[in-house]
Amino acid sequence: MKWSIDISGTLSPLGILAAMMQKPNTIAYPAVKKETAVGYRGFHTNLLVDCIGCANCQDVCMNDAIDMIKTDKEYNVKNSSQCIPRIDYGRCCWCSLCTDVCPPDSLKLDEEYLGVTQYASDFLYMPKDK
Amino acid sequence: MFATIKNRFATTDIEVKREDLYKVVVQRDAIFELIFMLREQYDYQTLNAITCCDWIEEEHFAITYILTTSDRKQSFMVQTMIGREDAQIDSLTHTFEQAEIMERDLHEMYGIDFPGNQNLVELSLENWVHTPPLRREFDTLEFVNNNLSFREGRDGNMDVKKEMKRLRALKKAQKAAAKKAKEEASEVSDGN
Amino acid sequence: METNKHITIFHGPQHPGITGNMSVELDLIGETIQKATTHVGYLHRGFEKLVERRTVIQAFTIVCRICVPEPDPNEANFAMAVEELAGIEVSERVKYIRVMVLELSRLASQCMWLAGQSGSIGLYAVGQWAIADRDLILDLFEELTGGRVYHMYIYPGGVRRDLPDGFLRRLEKVLNHFKKRLKEYDNIFINNASFKSRAIGVGIVSPEECIKNGYVGQVLRGCGIEADVRKDAPYLVYDQLDFEVPTAQGGDVYARALVRRAEMDQSIHILEQVIDKMPEGEIMVKMPTHRKFKLPKNDTWVKVESSRGEFAYYMAGDGSEKIRRMQVRGPSLVHAFTLLEDLLVGAELSDVALIMNSLGICPPEIER
Ligand code: SF4
Ligand code: SF4
Repeated sequence: MKWSIDISGTLSPLGILAAMMQKPNTIAYPAVKKETAVGYRGFHTNLLVDCIGCANCQDVCMNDAIDMIKTDKEYNVKNSSQCIPRIDYGRCCWCSLCTDVCPPDSLKLDEEYLGVTQYASDFLYMPKDK
Repeated sequence: MFATIKNRFATTDIEVKREDLYKVVVQRDAIFELIFMLREQYDYQTLNAITCCDWIEEEHFAITYILTTSDRKQSFMVQTMIGREDAQIDSLTHTFEQAEIMERDLHEMYGIDFPGNQNLVELSLENWVHTPPLRREFDTLEFVNNNLSFREGRDGNMDVKKEMKRLRALKKAQKAAAKKAKEEASEVSDGN
Repeated sequence: METNKHITIFHGPQHPGITGNMSVELDLIGETIQKATTHVGYLHRGFEKLVERRTVIQAFTIVCRICVPEPDPNEANFAMAVEELAGIEVSERVKYIRVMVLELSRLASQCMWLAGQSGSIGLYAVGQWAIADRDLILDLFEELTGGRVYHMYIYPGGVRRDLPDGFLRRLEKVLNHFKKRLKEYDNIFINNASFKSRAIGVGIVSPEECIKNGYVGQVLRGCGIEADVRKDAPYLVYDQLDFEVPTAQGGDVYARALVRRAEMDQSIHILEQVIDKMPEGEIMVKMPTHRKFKLPKNDTWVKVESSRGEFAYYMAGDGSEKIRRMQVRGPSLVHAFTLLEDLLVGAELSDVALIMNSLGICPPEIER
């Protein structure tokens, strides 16, 4: 290949220097937080006064992420099995099918999505009651 | 085109699935003749894919060759059935270079042999010794239960149906007991 | 083989310039490649088997994971295949929303490509910019679908949520930003002398080979062949939209880069039309057996145009609620084996990542 100087091709990339004058695209994270969009599929919440313990959520979840368990919490009187769902976040893929099939719409996905823990057992997540 | 294919290969039916997609099922020994004919006479120059579907109830694999014309406006699904035991069908690598990798994929997933393909070595499953995984008799659930384990601490799971039944029975019993108590109470008052 | 001259090395899976979890085994003499063998297997997840155990809606949530940078063509393909087998017709609004999602994901995935291609020759600033711009699209996706990368949005029979209020205006804003930005990419990357000198004349594919071996996407268009599923076999509403199929001559890495760059313009053009034309209507087909699709005993072959070329699904039903067989034929399977192994022979070691990126090879979709 013959060598020839590509002048515009050499000079035009220098336009990138203009970016030094611009505001950065990133945010200063712990000080400024990014707003999560409404309807983001984050952690589960389960409104216990509504949950009827029907286990539809367990049936539809193909990742076997949901256990129906007994706790000492206050349930809905109509909760026919006296069980509520607990989710294994090691298996869940946040597909939100369980919330789609929940008859009283008690199970929902929340905007919150940050979870930090040092114990693997904390992956077994009890949905917040709200 | 349809008439020629029907006459020559004695098939009853060419299905028009969409405007741009036809399908024909032929006998196993005629399939390569048909593919070559489509390629030579009707401009189906590209082999897009070789797919396989396991019909375990009918004891065969349905192998489909998908061919596309060089202007890419028409596709033809050419299907044939091969037996599940010692499944084997000739390779197409001499005509289509890309058939090599597709056949290698099917060889690994279904255990089908393609005589003529020189490169049927393992693709993505390293040191796999079980049944080829996409055959229907390979049970993924069983494999997982034998080889992997659930996270610890998940044994609190209740069988909801049973639990519902139990609670319903309990409630019924309670109701019955309450009724009985009431009746007894009224009997006592009657007795007075 | 002469001794002391050959060296065999593995390029990948941990090489930063490589396109994902795959590796190429290279036989070298000096810097020149004598033989290349592709190895995959670092990422096999068995989706094709998993969907056989699930009902349609359960399977719908995992198909998006088949391709990581660009999940939506998978969802669209899956939905189209199920709709065709089950005989469902979706509304006009759904079609427009799907086109919008598909084009947005094309744009996002071209940004990924910009980052990979520039990173593979050491121009990292372009990569950082491209990823930052991609984030604007991910923000839109977050708002629309609730997920940033895996959207699980295009549901067989419709889409899962309606557009939020003012979504189209925000989309317009992002598009305007992109229009400004793309000119800067031209200056700093596409016209960059160092990129040109690396890319022109490298990795040349001939048009005859393309047709015969079933190469798709930019590889075809980089040889001057106008091939695009959106034009050749229009799906959704692409026949009502006005756009061009960009092509370039030469068949080398640079031609493919030009094609991709021109496609970004076309995606923006399509999205602007979608904003204008978005009709009202239902977003989900009303069906009595909504969560229980029954697929008749039949099979079909559907395809869409992804950002890297034709993406096709074979699907067979057997009369039950479960899918009998779903086979994925992405663009990468043939590109990564038949094409890449050929192209690399005679190339330099430093060009491997460059060539791989320009072919758009994506291992997750090779292994499914
Ligand atoms: S969360 Fe919903 S679906 Fe699950 S048991 Fe409760 S009511 Fe049923
Ligand atoms: S979001 Fe999906 S994976 Fe997670 S628990 Fe619900 S159904 Fe299962």
